[in-house]
Amino acid sequence: MEFKDYYQILGVARDASADDIKKAYRKLARKYHPDVSKEADAAARMAEVNEANAVLSDPEKRAAYDALGREAPHRPGQDFRPPPNWDAGFEFTGSPGAEGMDGAEFSEFFEQLFGRAARAQGAQHGGAQAHGAGPAQQRGRDHHAGIELDLRNAYHGAQRMLTLHGARLDEAGHLVNQERQLHVTIPKGVRAGQLIRLTGQGGPGLGGAPAGDLFLEVQFKPDARWRAEDRDVYQSVTLAPWEAELGGAIEVQTPGGSTVEVTVPPRWKSGRKLRLKERGIPAATPGDLYLELHIALPAATTPEQQQAYRALAQAFPQFKPRNAPGTQGG
Amino acid sequence: MVTHNFVDNALAELLDEHTRLTLDDLARTCCMAPDWVVERLQAGLLQGEHTGGRWLFTSTTVLRARRLARLEATFDADPELAALTTDLIEEVAELRQRLRQLERLK
Repeated sequence: MEFKDYYQILGVARDASADDIKKAYRKLARKYHPDVSKEADAAARMAEVNEANAVLSDPEKRAAYDALGREAPHRPGQDFRPPPNWDAGFEFTGSPGAEGMDGAEFSEFFEQLFGRAARAQGAQHGGAQAHGAGPAQQRGRDHHAGIELDLRNAYHGAQRMLTLHGARLDEAGHLVNQERQLHVTIPKGVRAGQLIRLTGQGGPGLGGAPAGDLFLEVQFKPDARWRAEDRDVYQSVTLAPWEAELGGAIEVQTPGGSTVEVTVPPRWKSGRKLRLKERGIPAATPGDLYLELHIALPAATTPEQQQAYRALAQAFPQFKPRNAPGTQGG
Repeated sequence: MVTHNFVDNALAELLDEHTRLTLDDLARTCCMAPDWVVERLQAGLLQGEHTGGRWLFTSTTVLRARRLARLEATFDADPELAALTTDLIEEVAELRQRLRQLERLK
């Protein structure tokens, strides 16, 4: 287990006041808050900062952590095992983490010292070492994770093999890292921002209580061909200039995998969309599929093709494209 | 030591119009007490459906409630201020998505 120097993580001195710790925490929380930060490792850094704050802002945990540092000095990153009865004389109250904070993100180091493992060991050993405020039975925490899918998966459903890293308590109450593989059937009809609940796949419960749930937040992989807005799907379709102006039937491959024939109306209009009713994400009330039409100009690489463009120019002497942008001009 | 344990076919349940979270579910998933959720419902900071004497919540509310809880806990923020920040974060995310779409069309 890796030793964590919580003072170094928050960038404060070991004799920092509670106010200094709060200021340092908030400064780092603004920097690494996952909703606003542009740092690549923001989520991991935020979890680390939350964990350091959960210990150093709690007088009981901080005192125990300081005592541990004095008795068994370690450098950050060094392999570390807490000495037996390291926490004798200290009482930890409240939840292992903090209100509103996802304790599932905390490290093995924290869990071993202050978390579920410490409380479970305390309960098993007569509660002499570490005391939790809650009853001996406690439901496991819910865990949250993201899952990235193709939009096609929303049409047909999908199978995913997830590898979950977590911890469980063995029979002696010791924390054991555990890697689990989970075969998940993603139902069709999923939308971005929707949650999939995997019952009982969250944190382990204590004292025979049920495990928490695992929630997966669905996001779609960015795809230049299409995007989803709730159940409606927008697909970019490119037309040749003559298809755009003269209209006619074209074939379109939809995100659902089928090929449909669509009639493009004549007389091009910029920003035109064609709606295919109920061809969006499936549901009791399915979404619609909108085809957003764009024009692609063919490159004139041969003398004959260049001549065709010149003939086009001669056929439209009144066309003034810069007089009215986005329209047919004058 | 890492142990391996193969678990097959977890029950995947989509939270949608038919399957929603209860008040206790929502509170637990935010690591907050049910009263915390009720106060924010009464203040209009969270939305839920109240039918048959019980509250039911969608995925959108779960994500919003977790964000509110994190902001309040991190900055000791006033609930109204945390809700305003959440509104702005949601709007920025929506605008960023629109921007990405427009950039793809260039």
